[in-house]
Amino acid sequence: MFSKKMNKTLISAVLGTMLLVTGCGGGSGSSAPAPSDSNNAGTAAPAPSNEKKVLNIGLKADPPSMDPTISTSLYDRQVYASLYDKLFEIAPDGKIVPMLVDTYEVSADGKTYTFKLKKGVKFHDGTDFNAEAVKFNFERNLTTEKSKRKGDLKYVEAVNVVDNDTVTVQLKEPFAPFLSVLTDRAGMMVSPTAAKEKGDDFLNAPVGTGPFVFVKQVKGDSVSLKKNENYWNGEVKLDEVNYKVFTNGTAKVQNLRSGMLDIIDETPTKEIPAVEGDANLQLIAESGMGYQGLHFNNTQAPFDNKYLRAAVDRAIDREALVKVLFNNYAAPARTAFAKGSLAYNEELNKPVAPNADEIKDLLAKGGKPDGFEFKLLITTAPENEQLGAVIQNMLKQHGINAVLEKVEYGQLLEAGSKGDFQAMQLGWSGRQDPDGNFHDFVVTGNTNNYGRISVPQLDELVLKARGEQDEAKRKALYDEATKVAQDEAVYAYMYHQYVLIGMNKKVTGFTYVPDGLIRTATLDKQ
Amino acid sequence: MMFVVRRLMLTIPILLLVSIMTFSLIHMIPGDPARVILGQEATPEAYQALRTELGLDKPIVEQYFSWLGKVVQGDLGMSITDRVPVSELILQRLPATVELTIGTFIVAILIAFPAGILAAVRRGTWVDYTSTFAALGGMSIPSFWLAMMMIIFFAVENQWLPSSGYVPFSENPAQNLMAMILPCVATGLRESAVLMRMLRSSLLDVVNMDFIRTAKAKGLNEARTILGHALRNAMVPVITTSGLMIAGLLGGLVITESIFSIPGFGRLIVESVFKRDYVTVQGAILVSAILVVLVNLVVDILYAVIDPRIKSGKGAGE
Repeated sequence: MFSKKMNKTLISAVLGTMLLVTGCGGGSGSSAPAPSDSNNAGTAAPAPSNEKKVLNIGLKADPPSMDPTISTSLYDRQVYASLYDKLFEIAPDGKIVPMLVDTYEVSADGKTYTFKLKKGVKFHDGTDFNAEAVKFNFERNLTTEKSKRKGDLKYVEAVNVVDNDTVTVQLKEPFAPFLSVLTDRAGMMVSPTAAKEKGDDFLNAPVGTGPFVFVKQVKGDSVSLKKNENYWNGEVKLDEVNYKVFTNGTAKVQNLRSGMLDIIDETPTKEIPAVEGDANLQLIAESGMGYQGLHFNNTQAPFDNKYLRAAVDRAIDREALVKVLFNNYAAPARTAFAKGSLAYNEELNKPVAPNADEIKDLLAKGGKPDGFEFKLLITTAPENEQLGAVIQNMLKQHGINAVLEKVEYGQLLEAGSKGDFQAMQLGWSGRQDPDGNFHDFVVTGNTNNYGRISVPQLDELVLKARGEQDEAKRKALYDEATKVAQDEAVYAYMYHQYVLIGMNKKVTGFTYVPDGLIRTATLDKQ
Repeated sequence: MMFVVRRLMLTIPILLLVSIMTFSLIHMIPGDPARVILGQEATPEAYQALRTELGLDKPIVEQYFSWLGKVVQGDLGMSITDRVPVSELILQRLPATVELTIGTFIVAILIAFPAGILAAVRRGTWVDYTSTFAALGGMSIPSFWLAMMMIIFFAVENQWLPSSGYVPFSENPAQNLMAMILPCVATGLRESAVLMRMLRSSLLDVVNMDFIRTAKAKGLNEARTILGHALRNAMVPVITTSGLMIAGLLGGLVITESIFSIPGFGRLIVESVFKRDYVTVQGAILVSAILVVLVNLVVDILYAVIDPRIKSGKGAGE
């Protein structure tokens, strides 16, 4: 059909073009010296020329708001750890220590807190941090219409400026978790000047006193910060910190391996071997402060019956569960309090292997000797579906049939709020103070008490613990409350999540703090 | 010119329909937006306050018309979760996706044209079989898998190319292009398979037509026959496919965008759905619909350029 010569010309032209294309894929890369030169692809993204120390942190989701007053997202808090300082800080051992506060006193009745502030601290905009600024921040959190901090600070009655560096906070009643509240968003200090000037737009132009200064945010993609040259708490070693959003966990881990990221906020369980197997990386696996478990609707059949709740609770083999699902990168739980919490009690938290006779007995007492069926709501994330299947299997062995109904997260919360469910799987990220893991969840009528738990003795103990100033006495109250919760099987605590931070070994100066947030002030990159 | 105006007029009912459908669909998703936005930390007062703020307590028809009223004036509204104008969000995200789409398309063409032409010309030989096999492979491999493999090979094992690190072209062109190579090739390979198959079969149809026989009889050589006569006539179905492809890519590169961490338009839509930021979803889908309409318009104009008979109402390939 075609002459031989023409054939050759055509084929060589076509092959030439194809080579050009494949050249685009591999060749241009291999000829690009930038990434391999420095022997670290991480420097491929930021310009490597002027030896700036740039730290790239991978986040699982977008931090939606840079304003701590209106924030509701865990990912916001990661960025805040660089932008803002707080009145109090959590020490690596879980204890509360002053941060922007220098010294403090609590009155004998537990109602008046006097804070002496650190001197010479300045906001990123150059204005002074002082007693007036503290008062402004409390008032902003308490009065701003969209404030999400009103609940944290609802016991605050008045804030008074004594002098430039001294402020007193008057509480309506004794509230032992108060200082712990000030280690989080309610204790973050924003610049009054900037907040007044920006108004609602402050979330897009945040100003704090932290080790890094806000540069820009591309919503849904990244937040860029630069070094605070005048940081009050020692020299900041990094020049820039970038937070990058990677919704795909596998891609996030591969970017850590390739050097595009230096730290990732969490490592998916299935990617742990990839991190551990890479000589350049290290995995930081520490128990977090939260828990995961099952809410029982305590007011609706079948779980208005405490024996049936207990039967389900006892039938879950916690040790097997964390092994199967998390390869032991989670701790079995039977209480709301993880290791590191004031209320952690090793004995009470210890998993008990399911005992078939005990469960049979419970079922008989609950009037369902042959077992029963219930509907379990669970969210659609793949790891939750696995969790649901494992629970279902464990219960089946004892004649309890859990019918899984997969719903979307928002739908789950709505069902919880309305009490429109029999059982649902939902946990809590956890708070430093035990009160934050218990009060809102088990006390009658509280917002996160989706199970409509109402045990007068439990209410009394938790509320008493709230007002107790003495740590040992507080712990004893939480122990007692936990025993009541376990006897009544109000909620089935299953496991405490681990915080699994993946990090390049070039990053130095990292200290793990039990809230799981990455503090960049002390970090350096070799 | 009249043709373009008529086509543009036709887009108005299309866009209205799209907006009504988007609006109803997003309100049908279970889970109250206020609940999703506030998460587990919601107090009943905060929940009610947010519902009022978002206008969720008003009837749905009223919500739609108040939204539409603003859109007609060019105001796409304010993002519920990000508190920035939706138009700003879209303008921030669109360039990356447009660049990715163009890059993908270039990769697809650079592969599809040589391979498609060769396969057609050398029909029934090993060249044809190999490219057909490769094309079927390309169509069957999920792009996220290919993308991940390419990251592992090019970025992790060999460190030839960055695995992410998108910056806007205007900020740093070199870094932008480097970061774009892997994503463009990862999606382009797949798209090239579709184009290549289309080009091959379209060329085979044309090659057997009378005018090609005439051209050959006149003594034209093979390259000139194929490139000068056959290819142009085989282009109409290829352009149609390309148009559909580009329209699909503009809103559908979510997976590539999230794997390579590119702040694109597709991710904006998906993230906004998850966050129930329905003001952004509506705005973004409307813009997406406009883009599809525009791409189709360009395709129609291109038909006329490629084949003048189309403008005069005669069918192609006669």
